Amino acid sequence: MLGKLTWDAIPFDQPIPLAAGAVVALAVLAVLIYITVKGWVPYLWREWITSVDHKRIGVMYVALAILMLMRGFIDAVMMRTQQAVAFRSNGYLPPEHFNQIFSAHGTIMIFFGAMPFMIGLMNFVVPLQLGVRDVAFPTLNSVSFWLTASGALLVNLSLVVGEFSRTGWLPFPPLSEMTYSPGVGVDYYCWALQISGVGTVLTGVNFVTTILKIRAPGMTYMRMPIFCWTALAANLLIVAAFPVLTATLAMLLLDRYLGFHFFTNTGGGNMMMFMNLIWAWGHPEVYILILPAFGVFSCVVPTFSGKPVFGYRSMVMATMAICLIAFMVWLHHFFTMGAGGDVNAIFGTMSAIIAVPTGVKIFNWLFTMYGGRVRFTVPMIWSVAFMITFTVGGLTGVLLAVPPADFMLHNSMFLVAHFHNVIVGGTVFGALAGMTYWFPKAFGFRLHEGWGRWSAYFTIAGFYVVFMPLYVVGLEGMTRRLQHYDVGAWRPWMMVSVFGVLLALVGIVLEIVTIYVSIRDRESLRDEVGDPWDGRTLEWSTASPPPEYNFAVLPHVDHEEYYWRIKQAAARSETLPEEPHYVDIEMPRNSATGFVAAFFATVMGFALIWHIWWMVGVAFVGAYATFVAFAWRDHEEHVIPAETVARNDHARRAARAKALKAYSPR
Amino acid sequence: MSDARQILETAPGDEADVEHEFGGGVMGYTVGLGLAALLTATAFVLPALNLVWPPSLPIALGVLAIAQMGVHVVFFLHVTTGPDNVNNVLALAFGALIVFLIIGGSVWIMHAMNANMMNPAMHM
Ligand code: HEM
Ligand SMILES: [Cu+2]
Repeated sequence: MLGKLTWDAIPFDQPIPLAAGAVVALAVLAVLIYITVKGWVPYLWREWITSVDHKRIGVMYVALAILMLMRGFIDAVMMRTQQAVAFRSNGYLPPEHFNQIFSAHGTIMIFFGAMPFMIGLMNFVVPLQLGVRDVAFPTLNSVSFWLTASGALLVNLSLVVGEFSRTGWLPFPPLSEMTYSPGVGVDYYCWALQISGVGTVLTGVNFVTTILKIRAPGMTYMRMPIFCWTALAANLLIVAAFPVLTATLAMLLLDRYLGFHFFTNTGGGNMMMFMNLIWAWGHPEVYILILPAFGVFSCVVPTFSGKPVFGYRSMVMATMAICLIAFMVWLHHFFTMGAGGDVNAIFGTMSAIIAVPTGVKIFNWLFTMYGGRVRFTVPMIWSVAFMITFTVGGLTGVLLAVPPADFMLHNSMFLVAHFHNVIVGGTVFGALAGMTYWFPKAFGFRLHEGWGRWSAYFTIAGFYVVFMPLYVVGLEGMTRRLQHYDVGAWRPWMMVSVFGVLLALVGIVLEIVTIYVSIRDRESLRDEVGDPWDGRTLEWSTASPPPEYNFAVLPHVDHEEYYWRIKQAAARSETLPEEPHYVDIEMPRNSATGFVAAFFATVMGFALIWHIWWMVGVAFVGAYATFVAFAWRDHEEHVIPAETVARNDHARRAARAKALKAYSPR
Repeated sequence: MSDARQILETAPGDEADVEHEFGGGVMGYTVGLGLAALLTATAFVLPALNLVWPPSLPIALGVLAIAQMGVHVVFFLHVTTGPDNVNNVLALAFGALIVFLIIGGSVWIMHAMNANMMNPAMHM
């Protein structure tokens, strides 16, 4: 009846996961009860869960990402403390548990922390910067989000029901095959990623279409803000790379479920083909993570330097060059596999070449700051920290891309330090910069500067103290994923590293305090005008938070940095642009399709993991029926009358007119 | 009609445009279906009836497969050389390049590895 699922799946004998699971379950239950008692369910359902508004979906993506980043951080704390104590001893985490923790950490951080954060920012910002009302396929967007959430739910469920994969964040065979991983851990991993992967591909299709096809009148390619360019590149990478991941995991699943032998040791399988395919996706993936962050810095640095971005065209070229070369370097992840000197040389060279456009960007940001009036706000602190940190991480990457060096350093702690150096110092710093920068646009009030500043300082310091020692132990020969070790020389460095975790923890707590204080003091942090930073791109031309339809009338973009120009013109003439003629606006209606489809997808994933075949059938029919019901609906839009639009816009114009008096043009 | 509609209407897949372009409309789909069916049938008939010199069969099948892709691209995906089709052509080119890089690269890498690592499958 319930397939492989029995009471044995609940780890009654392991206190740590059981207690953690119980606490989380109780917390979730408490929140749900609180929401219900307060009567917020209808509001949440109407305004958030079924919303197809790109801004709401963006906020939900970021919220999910923050939750998952904190979840992954707990794993990180456990790993660092384990390695701090497990010197000539077994520490407190038995090997099978330690292995699950590092696997869950990587999976959660990459797929459910970093990716949703970046996709959330793109969701919120891209349509606003393009000057349009929504993405190309709004309901599909909601489906994407809920499928991502479904994958996150499955991964976290494995904490209490069954177990998680022990193979690392990528399930390398033959370890991940049935012979060596007979449990449900790898299945949890694969189905969670297959489900969220569908969501990610749909996001890619949606945003490529939006950016190529739906822009404000006059918004030519060369007038798009750099963030839109990096979003385009990242989504092209998603569309091209994620099917490779899906196909590779599908082959692994066929091996595991139906006795195929794509990657087995026997029967003509070739596990090295898995390495090859997974990295053909994996390297583009790291650029999917970093390109949107590059876009964030390309918004933050010009705004707070009071200058347009330096070398716009070279930025665009660099972005698109990275998008292409990202597909020509994947072998650098398995130089040691034995493809030989000529293959290694070509891929090593390409890997060094891909650092060039990245370097171009760093110089462009530096020159944007040069000669500008730099305001060191919190987003700017993150940006400067990024420029320094990312340069170090990029250089160690280039070092690893030299095959002879990589033979020494492959899978060492040096590698671990490299990729955290680029992902934390690049993607996470970028995410936090972007969150602080666009927070007032999303909620109508700024985050508190003082607390935010200290949060940034502690997090940045924590990052350095955690990861710089890892470079050292890596050079001293320490390999990654050690549950215990007996080399005395590594011990002091591990102690330093665990101290850094404490600093980072303080940073995270301060970030939470920042959000709390900002909500408490929101009246004094209010952004009345909609342009709190003296911004340059179109999202700052509308109110904060923007109305559902974003712009009362679509802007007619006749120049790059269009908003900056009309703002300066208005300030010089001390009058706002003429009042436009308002018309009715049609917007897509809410839809529960995403939520319902994701519900069925979750049930189906769970049933597949536990081999509950009847439930698979029921859930599949449910998901299909949801799709058919959506396809058959004939009432797709609702109309916002011109009077409402006019009323809202008059309020915005009044606030602008007032602000104009205090604004001195540049 | 409001602004949002006008813009959304330029989204791809709108049948209104398709009617007027090459390979569009019901006629276009019918021709496409016919060609696709013909190419599929040929792929089965050729080997079965021994019509061509047997060693050339793989190449013949390859040619048929590429022609099939062409039919799909023109008649079903409506990628043409018209001025409003630049995006589609570029997307197709990007896709083709990526497929070439990944498949070509994989074959090269795996072949080199098998040669170097003396894979028994290659040396039997
Ligand atoms: C300057 C460009 C870069 C170069 C030349 C480079 C080079 C490399 C090389 C050679 C490896 C493999 C090392 C080994 O396994 O022995 C590697 C691993 C890795 N890199 Fe980079 N990298 C670069 C930028 C980035 C960026 C921007 C990110 C992410 C935002 C990133 C994320 C990663 C990750 C996640 C891994 C390790 C995955 C694993 O084995 O689990 N890299 N990099
Ligand atoms: Cu790579």
